[in-house]
Amino acid sequence: MIWKLRPLAGSLAFACLCASAAAEATPLTPEEMAGAARTDGLSIPMPDEFLASLNKLGKIYWSSKMRLPIGTSYTSRPQMALNLGGLIADGYIAIEAQDQQQVKNIGRDVLTLAGALGVSKEVKERAGSITSFAENGQWDQLMEELEATQNEVKQTMAEAKDQDLVALVTVGGWLRGIEVVSGQIAAHYTETGGKLMRQPGIVDFLNQRLDKLPDKIKDDASVKIVRKKMADIQRLIAFPIDKAPTVDEVKELNKLAADTLKDITKKQK
Amino acid sequence: MKRLFLTLVFASFTAVSALHAVTDGEVAARRTALDVAGAFNNDGFKLRDGFWAGQFAPGKPKILQVNLYAGNAYYFTVGATPTAKKVLVTVYDETGKPVSGEPYQDTSVAAAGFSPDNSGIFFVKVEVVDGAAADYCLIYSYK
Repeated sequence: MIWKLRPLAGSLAFACLCASAAAEATPLTPEEMAGAARTDGLSIPMPDEFLASLNKLGKIYWSSKMRLPIGTSYTSRPQMALNLGGLIADGYIAIEAQDQQQVKNIGRDVLTLAGALGVSKEVKERAGSITSFAENGQWDQLMEELEATQNEVKQTMAEAKDQDLVALVTVGGWLRGIEVVSGQIAAHYTETGGKLMRQPGIVDFLNQRLDKLPDKIKDDASVKIVRKKMADIQRLIAFPIDKAPTVDEVKELNKLAADTLKDITKKQK
Repeated sequence: MKRLFLTLVFASFTAVSALHAVTDGEVAARRTALDVAGAFNNDGFKLRDGFWAGQFAPGKPKILQVNLYAGNAYYFTVGATPTAKKVLVTVYDETGKPVSGEPYQDTSVAAAGFSPDNSGIFFVKVEVVDGAAADYCLIYSYK
């Protein structure tokens, strides 16, 4: 009841109390900006947030954005983590497409990879909810559950001293989001769409995380590929605020992301 | 729906909290923030399953870098423990200039709504403008 009595409009009735707050605020100093915190929990947008921005550009046929199932039997833990991130992003796409069967299939693959990484117990509990929401067409709840699952996987990894793998899950999911969004924008190019690709803070943050990985993980073939390609991706994504990338640049970005994802799904020798 | 929402946010809070040693004060601060963010949820905003929590004091604001997308609308909500009698959340663009938006302020909770024209880096500052040191928790919603 209280919930219903506190609608947004009512809350914003207080807005006049500080309506000029932004105008009165002092600009941040370069030191304050340089010292700003960056966290995996809030500084990196969730795949859903990125995909949601794409919906503003027009009708998206999300079913066409799904990819063929990827393998789930890898021998390298870093490679598993990268692909787990990509799979979770696939889950968001399947939800956008409102494809019950794909959601269930991806949920099963997430469970397989999570099991190989030692975090299946936590995911298993959520997998039941995901299946139930999918069967009942509760797409909003499903989106929330998937996001909670992703965070729970990362949290469990962190608890198990696998913090380095958390970074790889994030990178894998982000790359899959970039592939989908850049593919859509390249196919239906507008300057407004192109500007959506501007994400200098994210790629910089992720590259710093990759640079800090232990040498053992950096030596993994899949991580080597990602680190190399992320440097190229940074060049294409960190463009000036007043400039839109050309359609060719968006296509190049799409190819880079797609090639990287293909490479990291290949089984290592 | 409300029960599901609450279940999810508290479950996710428990889940993510291990990444950071969360205090009782931060839990209370998050509860305060969620109370207001729930109203945005009624308006179609989706609450992000993540948070940023800690301690702040008058004259010692905390700043977080975020990455936002043009076309989305955002609400940043900060909740604090009652020792902070008035708190403020302000959003800045990548040059450090404050952006105008829809502010809301009510004692130990504040929010700022904002729809970026350009995708990229933004900064969110939370501060105590009246009162004493307190625990805070920042969350955000988008649509």
